[in-house]
Formats: sequence, C-alpha cells, structure tokens
Amino acid sequence: MPRKGVVVGVISRKAKKPYLRHLIKSFDRLRTNGNLLSSVALSPFVVSLSNHERTQLANRLLKKPECASLQALTAAALILPGLFQPTAKAAEDDSVDFQYNHYQEGKRDGINLFLTNKDTSIASKYAYAIPKKRNPIEVDSLHGSARVSLTDRVKFAFNYIEDTWSGATPFGSAPEQSGANGGGRGGTTFLDGKPIISGATPIARSNTYLDGQGNSFYKVTDPITGQSSFLKDRAVHVLGYASPETRKQGDFKLSYEWDEAALNMGGGISIERDYESRFVNLGGRMDFNQKQTTVNLGLSYTNSAISAVIDPSAFHWTSKIEENKLITHNPITSLNTLNSNREDWAAHLDLTQVINPNTVMGLGMGYTRSTGYLANPYKFAWIYGVDPNLPDPIFEGLPTGIFKAHSGMFLEQRPDVRNQWNWSARWTQYLEPLNAAVHVGYSFAHDDWGINAHTFEGDWVQPLGAGWTVTPRIRYYSQEAADFYQPIFKVNATIDHLTGTLDVRQLNIPDNFSSDQRLSGYGALSGGVTVAKEFAKGIGLEAGFEYYTHQGSLKLGGGGEQAFADFDYWVANAALKVNLSALGQGGASGGGGHGNHNDHPNIPAGILFAHTLDKAGDMMVGYRHNRAMQGGDYLHGTQHVGEPQVVAQGCPGSPRQGSVGQPDGCSLLPGEMAMTMHMLELMVAPTDWLTLMLMPQFMDMAMEMDMTMDNTSQPSAHAALGHRREHETGGIGDTGMYALVKLFDTPQHHIHASLGFSAPTGDVGIRRAEGGNYSGPFIDYGMQLGSGTWDFKPSLTYTGKANDWSWGAQVGGIKRLEGSNQSGYALGDLFETSVWGGYDLTRWLSATIRASYTWQGVIKGRYPRRKAIDASIELQCKIQSTDPDSYDEFGVLRPSVFHPDAYKQCLIDSESAKQLADAADRPSPSDFPANYGGHYGDIGFGLSATVPTGALAGNKLSFEWLQPVYTDVNGYQLDRDGALSFTWSYGF
Amino acid sequence: MISSINTAKILFVAALISACAPVQPWERGNLAKPQMALDPYPLQSALRAHNYGSREAAAGGNAAQGGGCGCY
Repeated sequence: MPRKGVVVGVISRKAKKPYLRHLIKSFDRLRTNGNLLSSVALSPFVVSLSNHERTQLANRLLKKPECASLQALTAAALILPGLFQPTAKAAEDDSVDFQYNHYQEGKRDGINLFLTNKDTSIASKYAYAIPKKRNPIEVDSLHGSARVSLTDRVKFAFNYIEDTWSGATPFGSAPEQSGANGGGRGGTTFLDGKPIISGATPIARSNTYLDGQGNSFYKVTDPITGQSSFLKDRAVHVLGYASPETRKQGDFKLSYEWDEAALNMGGGISIERDYESRFVNLGGRMDFNQKQTTVNLGLSYTNSAISAVIDPSAFHWTSKIEENKLITHNPITSLNTLNSNREDWAAHLDLTQVINPNTVMGLGMGYTRSTGYLANPYKFAWIYGVDPNLPDPIFEGLPTGIFKAHSGMFLEQRPDVRNQWNWSARWTQYLEPLNAAVHVGYSFAHDDWGINAHTFEGDWVQPLGAGWTVTPRIRYYSQEAADFYQPIFKVNATIDHLTGTLDVRQLNIPDNFSSDQRLSGYGALSGGVTVAKEFAKGIGLEAGFEYYTHQGSLKLGGGGEQAFADFDYWVANAALKVNLSALGQGGASGGGGHGNHNDHPNIPAGILFAHTLDKAGDMMVGYRHNRAMQGGDYLHGTQHVGEPQVVAQGCPGSPRQGSVGQPDGCSLLPGEMAMTMHMLELMVAPTDWLTLMLMPQFMDMAMEMDMTMDNTSQPSAHAALGHRREHETGGIGDTGMYALVKLFDTPQHHIHASLGFSAPTGDVGIRRAEGGNYSGPFIDYGMQLGSGTWDFKPSLTYTGKANDWSWGAQVGGIKRLEGSNQSGYALGDLFETSVWGGYDLTRWLSATIRASYTWQGVIKGRYPRRKAIDASIELQCKIQSTDPDSYDEFGVLRPSVFHPDAYKQCLIDSESAKQLADAADRPSPSDFPANYGGHYGDIGFGLSATVPTGALAGNKLSFEWLQPVYTDVNGYQLDRDGALSFTWSYGF
Repeated sequence: MISSINTAKILFVAALISACAPVQPWERGNLAKPQMALDPYPLQSALRAHNYGSREAAAGGNAAQGGGCGCY
C-alpha cells in the first residue's frame, strides 16, 4: 500500500521526471492487478506534477478503472501532498459557468424646497422628494464562461457578459435652493401649501448666494417685516435618468503551460450604444523555489471610442470649454454628439509566496496610464460666477461677504492623462481546528489626480461539510477627493453694471472640474455572504449577497463629502458551475456512458422539450441561445405594404408628433428588431420515466425606430439623417418548470409528453425614459422581458432513429392562465408544430432539416393610460379652478380659494386631452395589441456535433437557422428575417 | 504613500526570509484545499470588481480586463 511518505518522499525537483516514469510504471503494474485511481488524480494538487504530467498520469490510470477499493486507496495516497497553484484553481479544470447578478441602488436623498406654509405664514423647508419618485439605477448582468483544454498544455477560456441598466442617477450637484433641480424658489407655483413642480429636469441656469469660501446661501424674506436673512444652503444631487441600455462583452484567453511556467494572451470587445472598448492582454507566470514562489506579470492595452449624445441644455454652455472641440452638431436633428477616444495601458506584477504549510502571502503592484477623453459625458458641474468688486443692488440687502452668484451647467472636464499606481498585499491563513481559511488584504492606490485610496478586505471561508461552504466577507474602502472635484464651483466674474446680470458664457472656467461623486472624498463599507454547495458530480451552486454603503463621513481621517452624496446599493447573485473535468471522470468510471448520445435521434437546435434523460439519476446541463430578427418591409396580412400605408393605418388614433401639418398616424416605425434569449436547461431524472427540467431565461432586445418625417422618405434615409432612435431592454425572463414523461420508449421509437408552467419572472413594466419626474410611457409589448402571466406549456414529441437516419415530430403550445398581467395585457396564446428529419454525416456530425408552423393570437388588453399624465391634467384643472395663495400689500397671506364647479367642468373638458396624451404615448405600430401574432411557416437547417471521445466527450453543440417561408401577420408588422438557434448540452 | 511603500518593502523582505524554510510538497495538503485558493470565488469577484470599479475612483489595477464605460 503506497503511503504518503513513500510516494512523496521520492519527489524532489531534480528527480521528478524519472520518478514520474517510475510512478506511471508502478501504476501500470498495479492496473494489471485490475484497477485504478479516480478523480483525484486530475486534481491540480497532485504531488509536484504540472498539468501536463498530471494529465499523462491520469490518462494512464484511467484506462481501465473498475475496482473501487484500490481506487480509493491509491487516490488517498495521491491526493495528500497537494501543490498550491496560485493561478486560480478553478481555471485548471475544464468548466462551464453561468452567473446572474442584480445590482440595485437605494433611493437618493430628496430635495427640500423652501416654501411658505399658508396656514402659519412660516417659511420652512418642505420635504419634497423629487428624485425619490424615480427608481434608482439598477443593473442586471448575465455572465457565461467556458474553459476547455485544447491539449494538455493549451487552454482556451471564453467569457460573455451582458449588463442592462436603467434608472435615476446623479448628473451632478448644485445648491438645493438654486433651482438647478427644476422648480425651486420663485419658480414654483404652490397650492394648499404644496409645491407643484412639473419636472425634475435639470435647469441649466440657476442662481444662488455665495460667500468668499464658496459656501452657498439662500434668502428668506419675512412676509411681515420684509426683512431678508441669509441661511446656509447645502449641495444636493441633480438627478437624471438613464434609459434601459445594454452592454455586451466577449473576451477570450489562450494559454500555454509549461511545467513551471505559463504564458497567456487574450483580448476582447465591449459594446455599448455610446461606448466601444477593445482590449488585448498578455500575461506570464513563473514558478520558482519548488513552486513555493510564483510570479505573475500582466500587461494590457485598452482602446475605447466614445460617441455620446450630449444633453441639449448642457451643450448651450459648453462653448468655452475644451471639450467643445469634440462635439459635432447635426443641424437636421439638432443633436450634439461628443466623439472621442481613450487609451489605457496597464501593467501588474504579483508575487505569491508559500510561507508555511498553512499560510500563503501575495504581494502585487500595478501601474495604469490612461490618456484621451477620461471624463464622463453625462456628468455636469454647476459653475457659479460672482463679482466681488460690485456690491449688489441695495434691495438685495446682502450682508458683507455674501454675493449673488449666477451659474451655468457645464459638461465636466477632466485632465486628459491619468497615471495610477497601486500596491497590494494579501494574506491567506488556514485555520486547522476549523478547517477554515481566512483571507485578508490591503491595497493602496495613488494617482496624479490627487486621489489616494485604501482598501481593506477580509473573508472567512468556512466549509460546513456535505459540500457546503459559507463565506462572510467585509470590505472597507476610503478615498480622497480628486484635486478638481467640488460639489459646486465658484469663479470670479464681472457683472454687467447696466443690467445687473452676468453672462455665464464669459465665466473663467477652470481647466478641470467635476462634481462626479466618484471623485469625491468618502468611505464605503460593505459586507456580505457567499453560500456555495458542491454536488458530487461536479456541479456547484453559488449564491451571494452584498450590501454597500457610501458615506462621506466614513472617509478615513474625516473630511469627506457631505451627507447629500451618500448612497447605498445591494447586489445579489447566483451562479451555476459545471466542472467538465470532474464530470468526465465520473462518466469514465461509470463505464463511458457518453457514447450513448450518438444513439439518440438528432433534434434541431430550435426545438425544446424534445429530449428526455435515459435513466434515474441522470442529469443534463444545457445552454440555449436563440436570436430572432425582424427587419425590411412592413407586412399587412401576407402583403408587403409601403410606409405611407403603415403610418396612416398602423397606429389608429395616434397623433403625428413633431410633423406639423401631417395627418394623424404613426410617428415612429420600427426599422429593425432583434430578440435574444439565453436559456439554461437543468435536467434531472428522478426515475427512468420522468425527467424534470428547470429553465431560467435571460433576455435582451434591441429595436431601432425611425421617425416618420413625411410620406415619401424611406427608412434608410431616416438612418442617414440621424432620425433613428434605439430602444434596448434586457434582464431576467420568465422561468420555466417542466415535467417530461415517457409514454413509449423502444430503441427505435420514443414518445414523451412535456407538461409545465412558465412563471412570470420577466419584467413587463419597462418604460421608455423621459425627462421630468414622471415615469415614461411603457416600452412596446414586444420589448418587455416576459409574458407577465402564468403560462401553461404542454407539448407532445415523437422521435425515431434507425441507423444513420433520425426523425421526429412535435406539437406544443402556450396557454395564458391569466386574463391580464400587471401591466394590463396578456400575450396571445400560441400553437406550434414541427416535423424534422436528420442524417448522421459522420460519427460526430449530423444534419437536420425541419418544417414548422406556428400560430399566435393577438395581445389581449392594453397598457393602461399613464396615471401621471392624467394626474397632471387634473392638477392643471385644479390650478385653473383655484385662486392661489397670495400676499396683500401688507404682506398678509390670502389663502387660496378653490372653485369646485369649475374643477368638475374642467375634468369633463379635459377627457379628450387625456385621450390625446394617451394616444401620443403609443407612437408606433408595435404599441398596438392588434399588431401582434399571426401565422408563420418556416424551414430550419441544422447541424449538430457531438464530441465522441477525449476529455470533452459528451459535449454536444447544435446550430439551426430558421428561414421564414410564409408569414401572415395580424395588423401591421415588420417582416421576419429569420432566427438562429444555438445549443450546448452536456449529459452525465 | 511613502510609508505604504516601506510597509510593502518590509512585507516583501519578510516573505523572502520566511521562504528560506522550504515547505515540502507533502506538507502542502492544507494549501491545496479549495478554501485556500487566493480567490475562492473568481466568478463573483469579477462582478464585484466591476461594481466597485463603476462606483469608485481607484481602479484596483483591473483595467487590464476591459469592461466598458459603466457610465451610469
């Protein structure tokens, strides 16, 4: 029996190679006795072997695994002397991982407007929370990654990340009473002592009072004595709204491993509507000192192109600043676009050192140099000009040292070079009595913008047995403000003596200025927990939660930004990890079950629910990608129709916005639409005849809309003229739960039924962004992420296989179980049927062809009228029917007088205005339920590849292109271009 | 900042000194445990780094991995 000391004692660095041969031979001898070794031989921690050597060894050992007892013994001997691999252990194994992440920011502070109470005549701040009405920023992210060994020494890794975000977020900051947030003193009508503010759109021009230090004040006039006093104001955030927008990133890494070194290179691209980033990186690893010391070096280069449409109110004031040179003005659309570029070079050097059998230490340093446009094109600063030499007119009653200040809203400006350095130290300690590991780390970052930042973090990884691990973690971050950060800016200016005004375009703008809170001084404390469960077969689940609070008062050493800038967020994520290496070993020791997949009939990639698991205990993990595209002409029934007809008839009742003199009709027409679904298939067979399936989905959609300018121009012309609008949505879709029951099962013929439900986990309340403090109108039905209803989804599938031929047929459908969802509508029911045939071209490659017919009904119900619009119209009625608060010549308050009859009449009269406003919320054919559904005929061409042998045996990849051949739509709809399906599945 | 560099230097030297007492391969069983990986949850770490990166000024030397704008 090989003992730990015996096996390992022989291994020294010099003697390793001969020993390896000896070891392999000895195992060859052992195997002649019948048996061998299991999964642990593939662990990266086996003795002092490189991946290559380990694989060699494992392959030898795994030739004929049969006997479990000797296998366990040998395994025990080999696993003991693990070797620490600092380059993330997970990267060593072939794996496929999926992760979902939700980021939700907390609501920001409200804005207090200074108002007079009509009952008490006392001026005070009413808590009037403009931003609190808007949902703060939230982000949904999907992350998929795969790592595979191309050979023993060559590894390939691929990542795909998709983020979709929307919500209210700060544009900048300004004094609370300055009016920068819309409304504000003087500009606000108020009724019954409550302010009426039409919107929170930032107001470019605002006024305040400043002292010599730049502190802002606001004026309070006593209504009785007429005396003015000046109270200290505070800065507040000016919030804007980010409409739903998606970022997609794909990147890869290719690495080559030697026994004591590795080289890797990678690259990728990240695409957003306004920001495109391409990057390459190069890295290397060297092990020294019997792998007790590891050095990693990495270099990277990123090139990003920015093309951002600038808020029109900001553009007006940018005439003096440098960035104006980057902005181009389109005279037709009146859009101002900032086009620029940035480059980032980064280098880092890390050292990992084994200190003792329970301790590892890491040290790192990095340098990043960024050049080009380093500002954020959506952040603004309010710069206030004061004239210290000119006493303000007497009636202002300004005390000494306080000046009236006039501002403009300026696009922020940052230096075009930034050099950042950082140093880090990590300590990882094993705690023997608890079998736990503690990680602590500190890093310090310094840059030439004046920001110094400290990060302290620690976690405690506690395995609990049975594959469970709980990891609490805590992190503290503190940074100093950038040299050019201020919540508001004060500059000296000259006031026009005649008019008493100041032309903000003549202000002496600082070279660099930003009110972006990310550049302010603050501290952030966050903590969370990760729970992980490893299942025996190589499947792992992870769930994590983190809460993060950003506060000026948490800054190390004090002096952080004031409380207005505080915010918090939480993040929840869940991950599924599939370790192909571990699963592959399980399969191999189980008698090479993957060969069976070749015997299964071929199923086109676009068909769901057509495959059941063979026997009790089997599992399958799969990923499905489906992309459906629409574009080209408009259809009415089966007929192609021109734009004038669609505009005239596709949007009944909708006013033609922005086109004076045009008849009513659609003001927007979808030009192209793409819907992408990412689906996870998790299948398990509790018994031979039953397969259970869980199918979470992630969706993203993009639609390009063209404004209809007149009856003659074509969509392509719109695009050229810049009349194109893009809508994007994305996030979790509906979640399916299914039971697949075998009804008839012979080697040649197979029939099963699938019964299941789709739970309404996808958002159906997504709205188009709009300025002001109202929620915008709903984005059209086809862009919502789910059905919003519980749906019943039955199907019946027949498949057959004889020699190289296979065939099948399926009928299925969707029945909505509710009459309407929370947004007032229900998608149409659906029926679909397919027949297909397949032929095995080779042992691993097969082709399929199928014909399919689909019917879907129209949408029932419709989005409700926007309450906010109705409320605003009703409020206008109230204002019109009320004599507002006023003061008589003695400064005495005259309370408002309400006329109920006039109000009632106004409400009746305003019904048509409400209807018109509602119709204006539905500008495109895709906003009308009647323009959904139809009859569809398609032909699908598919290819399917199964990996028959080797480490990746059992993996199956399928593609199918679905070509429309017959389309008969309800109402007016964009024609279909086709759909691409891609699936990956792995059974074990 | 300077003091931090000095601290780092001291730690570095300390590391090299302690490295003089070699840890034999058969003594590395604990080091090989998954909880002792430098980053036990690389998937989550990547997303957390992205969240921090979009809200904090110190990039943490992670610019190497791209990641887009985070302009929100």
